[in-house]
Amino acid sequence: MTAPADVPILQTASSLVELTADTYGSLQALPFGGGPSALAPVRDLLAAGIEALGRARDDLAAATRAAGGRVQTDPDPKYAPVVAQALPTVRGPGDVVGLALTLEDVLAQTLVRDVVDLSVPEVRRTVAGHATASARRKAVLLTLQTLLATGRAELAAVPPDLLALPPAAGTVGFPDVLFPTEKASPATEGAVR
Amino acid sequence: MSEVGGRLPRRRFLAGLGTLAGLAGTAALAACSDAPPAGAPPGPSTPGPPPPTTTSTAAAPAYTGEAALLALGAAVSGLAGDLLGQAAAGAGQGRYGAVPAVVSSFLSGAAAQHVAHAEAWNRLLVAGGRPAVTGAPLTVEPQLRGRLTGALAPVDLLGLAADLTGTVAATLTVIAGGVTEVAAVTLAAGAAPVAAMHGATAGFLLGRPPTAPADPTAGALGPDALTV
Repeated sequence: MTAPADVPILQTASSLVELTADTYGSLQALPFGGGPSALAPVRDLLAAGIEALGRARDDLAAATRAAGGRVQTDPDPKYAPVVAQALPTVRGPGDVVGLALTLEDVLAQTLVRDVVDLSVPEVRRTVAGHATASARRKAVLLTLQTLLATGRAELAAVPPDLLALPPAAGTVGFPDVLFPTEKASPATEGAVR
Repeated sequence: MSEVGGRLPRRRFLAGLGTLAGLAGTAALAACSDAPPAGAPPGPSTPGPPPPTTTSTAAAPAYTGEAALLALGAAVSGLAGDLLGQAAAGAGQGRYGAVPAVVSSFLSGAAAQHVAHAEAWNRLLVAGGRPAVTGAPLTVEPQLRGRLTGALAPVDLLGLAADLTGTVAATLTVIAGGVTEVAAVTLAAGAAPVAAMHGATAGFLLGRPPTAPADPTAGALGPDALTV
């Protein structure tokens, strides 16, 4: 089934996936991102994210082609400059988590909104699956952000010391009853021009 | 009933979706229990006359077409809300030994959101003229309830939560692709990631790798899992 109206939606989603994957790669190259001094959960999250984003890239590309469109391989034009400005200022694990969280939130919100807007059931299901994957990463990032904000980086361990964790660490990863979409990128944002 | 007959008018769906923002933590699911269903046959008794030879027609399923997917969403969310809520209550009663506060808060918080999801699915059903789902009428319910009964320690509760919320997220992901009414798609699209976030939090607390399933629909329940 082809759905030309779905093409810009899929292209914009691809552009956000491209940017997030590229950024994860850059963060992974930092000593405190994926290097020897990285906190284990931060390092693991970046590695898992790159793998999952690769699957998202492939699935979105296939859906774009099936809808008769050209695959978007460029990063999102709105957020790419933001990332370019932020990357040189990343100084530690808190900054890594903060930048990743910003991107995952926009990506997940966009994918959730896309599920409602897309017309092909199989594509809706595929995109919903990638939305849940992005939401999983957001949950871990929110938790890590809270733990790092305490100033006790040792709390962000694998496995964590459950008795030492603040109670809020059990709920901060899922702040909303329904996943929000206010920050979702419009379908035209990353469309191929 | 045909699929068309199973669909619900969009306006009624939207009315049924309502607002979820204030629902978290407000209510327990009404009728999640181990009690046998109403009308269940009594146990064996003294020998009596042979059973009547008249044939009886099996009751038609209460939910068909798209309504069955809504009922599935209500049932699986309700099951998660009930089991995680019971886990939290048991933890408060000391049933599982010393439960860290972070585990208790996780169980309570996740349970409340699943209950809210179940209520939202039920509002869509009722708005469409279908009965709300009560309890957790699912084929997997006894096995999962058995896992809770057999839990001995906080790690068992977290393991159950990780598996259960994984099933919920996968099921809602499939529902997102299977329903057509905007309010139902919106609910599935918004609730599935939240269930996945519960799973990610449970995984973090367990020290598991933050790896998303390669197939996000693996383990999803289908309408054939409904027992109503």
